Amino acid sequence: MILQTESPLPDLLADLLGLSGSGVAGEFVAALLAAFIVGNVMLAMTGVAGPWAKRKITAKFTDRIAADRIGPAGIGTIPADALRLLSKELIVPEGADRPAWDIAPLIVAGSAMLGFAVIPMGSGIQLADPEVGLAYVFAVASIASLGMVMAGYASNNKYSMLGALRAVAQNLAYEIPLVVTGVSVVLFTGSLRMSEIVAAQQETLISVGGLAIPSWFAIVNPFAFVLFLAANVAEVGRNPFDIPEAPTEIVAGFQTEYSSVYFVLLYLGEFLHIFLGGAITAVLFLGGAAGPGPESIGFLWFVVKIWAFFLLTQWLRSAAPRLRIDQLIEIGWKGMLELSFLNLVLTAVIVGMVA
Amino acid sequence: MNPWIAIGALAVVSVGIPVAMMAVSSLLRPSVPEQGKSAVYESGEIPTGTTRIRFNIQYYMVALLFVVFDIETVLIFPWTVIYRPALEGGASMTEVLAPMLVFIGVLVVGLVWAWRQGAVQWVSSPRALEEKTEANQ
Repeated sequence: MILQTESPLPDLLADLLGLSGSGVAGEFVAALLAAFIVGNVMLAMTGVAGPWAKRKITAKFTDRIAADRIGPAGIGTIPADALRLLSKELIVPEGADRPAWDIAPLIVAGSAMLGFAVIPMGSGIQLADPEVGLAYVFAVASIASLGMVMAGYASNNKYSMLGALRAVAQNLAYEIPLVVTGVSVVLFTGSLRMSEIVAAQQETLISVGGLAIPSWFAIVNPFAFVLFLAANVAEVGRNPFDIPEAPTEIVAGFQTEYSSVYFVLLYLGEFLHIFLGGAITAVLFLGGAAGPGPESIGFLWFVVKIWAFFLLTQWLRSAAPRLRIDQLIEIGWKGMLELSFLNLVLTAVIVGMVA
Repeated sequence: MNPWIAIGALAVVSVGIPVAMMAVSSLLRPSVPEQGKSAVYESGEIPTGTTRIRFNIQYYMVALLFVVFDIETVLIFPWTVIYRPALEGGASMTEVLAPMLVFIGVLVVGLVWAWRQGAVQWVSSPRALEEKTEANQ
């Protein structure tokens, strides 16, 4: 396997700007620029998803129209909503635990964005490619539960408190199935490096009538794929696992007392987490940014794949009823955990037979 | 370039962008403090009692189990990385798979025990059960 560089996008920018010879400071400037691009690409996607796509998709499912006042198909509602939300008054609840209450939105939004550091988005857009890529992305993504607990506890609201405790229960139950199913892919690749996981899926599995089917792990091991998708939806807290928010039970869970820009950040963090979940799924099971056509349009395929995951979460939102918290614990610990270990052992046996 | 420089740069950006948004918002937003606004939201009622109470989280045992299994996943990570290279390097399947099966087996025995003890389920508090039976009578 040819490994050109461990940080593709910053190196590319450093070469373009002539910074590659100027030591660590120059490297950091290039890295900062690349990080700014990656961060804003993902922010732009959440900007489209949050105020517009989510409403439009749900409206289609429930036979309504949703946003249609500004611009074609209501797309102009995105800047309008952004401005509206940012210019709302910030209301601090009585007895809020101040530093924690302010830091929590930063943690939720920041941890989600940090996960995109190692995601290969195709067309050479990848910020970093460390050897422990997969372990890193799972580790960083799970920091968000800390932010949720901080938000829930510091709000001094009983609904928030319940939401935070539910978020912990949920992340405890689904973190292990998620990670164990994720590493079953590593049995095939023998590497945690994201680019190598993607590269291992590019070989042709079988040819059906001249159509080459790639060895994406979703095709090689569909059982693991379904298990991973379910655990992933639970991990990002979407229906039918949206128990930490549960609008019909506990108002809005841990974010009940948040308003103005703090609410925007929590909301943004959640959408970033959905896209991060989609990106991890794409890298592990859907061949990363691979697709028909030249390699240079890989980024488009990556966008298609993460939006497909987003569509799935919104579809479930319209179609699946919410679970109860005790059902959630039972499904997690009495079902998913055992299935994920079964999958790991079976995958190991199959890899052992093939290799 | 060292990948961790790039990750560090993204860490700076992922704190910087939210902080910048907070700064922009603080310039735009009004501030009209009123007593009613800052009251904790309890569906329009006047808030009763405090939130800072001792609360039965009802999944204490599950949280303990999580610690066990989380450490297990940390130990599974390196095994999955070396598994295929070891097989291709000529090691037999029993050599690389059997120790992990024993390891997972020990933990599964523990999980079965915890399951039979009723640790992996939502524990109803005695008070809630009491209220339920009173309502049934």
